[in-house]
Amino acid sequence: MPESREALLERLRNAARQVRRDVFRALRAGGSGHAGGSCSAADLLAALYFHRMRVQPKDPNWPGRDRFVLSKGHANAALGAVLAQAGFIDDSVLDRFYHFDSPFGMHPDIRMDGIEMCTGALGHGLAIGMGMALGARIQDQGFHTFVMIGDGELHEGSNWEAAMAASHYGLANLTAIIDFNKIAQSGPLDELVRVDPLADKWRAFGWEVREIDGHDMGQIVDTLDALPFHGDRPSAIVAHTVKGKGVSFAENTYLWHSNNVTDEVYERALAELGPK
Amino acid sequence: MSAAPSWRDRAANQTRLAFGQALLELGEREPRTVVVSADTQDLLGIRPWIERFRPRFIEMGIAEQNAIGVAAGLATTGLRPYVCAYAPFITARSMEQVRNDVAYARQRVVIAAAASGISLGVAGGTHHALEDLALMRSLPNMTVLVPADVEEAYQATLATLDIDGPVYLRLGGRVEEPPVTRLDAPFPLGKARLLRPGNDVAIFACGAMTSLAVQASDTLKAEGIAARVLNVSTIKPLDRESILAAAAETRGIVTAEEHHLTGGLGGAVAELLAVEHPTRMRMVGMPDAFASIGPTVKVREKYGMSAAAIAAACRELL
Repeated sequence: MPESREALLERLRNAARQVRRDVFRALRAGGSGHAGGSCSAADLLAALYFHRMRVQPKDPNWPGRDRFVLSKGHANAALGAVLAQAGFIDDSVLDRFYHFDSPFGMHPDIRMDGIEMCTGALGHGLAIGMGMALGARIQDQGFHTFVMIGDGELHEGSNWEAAMAASHYGLANLTAIIDFNKIAQSGPLDELVRVDPLADKWRAFGWEVREIDGHDMGQIVDTLDALPFHGDRPSAIVAHTVKGKGVSFAENTYLWHSNNVTDEVYERALAELGPK
Repeated sequence: MSAAPSWRDRAANQTRLAFGQALLELGEREPRTVVVSADTQDLLGIRPWIERFRPRFIEMGIAEQNAIGVAAGLATTGLRPYVCAYAPFITARSMEQVRNDVAYARQRVVIAAAASGISLGVAGGTHHALEDLALMRSLPNMTVLVPADVEEAYQATLATLDIDGPVYLRLGGRVEEPPVTRLDAPFPLGKARLLRPGNDVAIFACGAMTSLAVQASDTLKAEGIAARVLNVSTIKPLDRESILAAAAETRGIVTAEEHHLTGGLGGAVAELLAVEHPTRMRMVGMPDAFASIGPTVKVREKYGMSAAAIAAACRELL
């Protein structure tokens, strides 16, 4: 029997909760890390990997796989948590976050299964994803490429070089997901350099845009299911999110962009996130 | 009836155009070849390639950072991207993309960088590339090639097919680079090529300075000085063997390059010799200054990049 919508959403919400639990588990193993941007992205990542993307975790380099590029690479704890839950990497890797000679550091590394590119220097991912989408077109391959971009990251001008060119080439097989949590390392974006009106910017660059609540699993699923939004334009999802979502003391504060995670902090976070 | 022009006719003694001609042969040999341009279709002579292989051509416009990122993404899908660009911009401006997306992620991307050195002399310092070898040579995984003439540029372009990693291919501008290497010899990847024998002094030269080094050697020969000349067309990995041999067999080593004296060929040779075989050296190249505006040859001469300066450096070592 096919999975009912309610069962699907419940499964994805549970998966996202497990991602957040594993983010704090990794951060405890590392002693610190980027909880804010990892938790804001958790629901989107869970829906991508456990619903929308065609991947084969046991064959991570399967040529037909959909591609995911985490341009906001500092959320790697969340990506590692997803990859472990999906079976790309052994679950024990999560306990080696930041450890000596670990494949699992602060930022994605192509040497780890499931990671498509070394990212985290901001403003790189969209160009890389665009190259993947062009590679699919040139070789007549049907995979879709997803790039998750941070909102503060959009200060980097290279994003807009890629945005302009991707629409010029009409790359309907490319989707940008903007984790719009409104806060960067030093404070709120509106106090640093404003990125609004964000959806208008993407539209002006020729993308087909939808704005969603990036924590409403129903909206996320419906939006991912509607891709591509246009037959000959790239798609942009402006996902309004909350930095640190799910853990009250980490929510909506630049202090939790990156912070120390002791055993005590870990226990408090897990108590809020609830059981597996 | 005259014969159709050959690739050599079309290259007109300019390495940047020899690259575009070689690309046609490469495109036939390797169907995974894709070409990415940063508004450089004429600079690298790639219009014939675009006509023949249009579905595998991507114009990125004047956006070098994007060109490199896109090329890295293309490479992950199994394609073999050649990024055509201006040397000053594709290196300095896109350095982070080259470092992270290409070198660190070890993607098979070939960066064909024309208008290197002071080949765009009249354009001024904003358009000179005198630090590109230092930047590219400092990156792990990167192979750095500097062809001396059109024969070598053609063969070096074909040789990139067999390099399993990123490549920086340094090409000239709208300046003639006289023939100095042998016709049709395969590119000696990783090996410096002997152009003149001699055991008094050795000159290691690259790019446009190679023909000047040969001139210098011929001048010195008339004075009874035997100056060995080696063409270092692979800057990285460096041909340690021929450099250490010259250090042991001659009274000193001169390097010659159209690049700052820091971090380029001279720097690479000095780094090796300082550790393995301390040797008296002289370095011909661009001093620590931004170059004047002017015709390339005159600007080169002003800063001591001439056959006369190379010969003088050799005499100092005797």
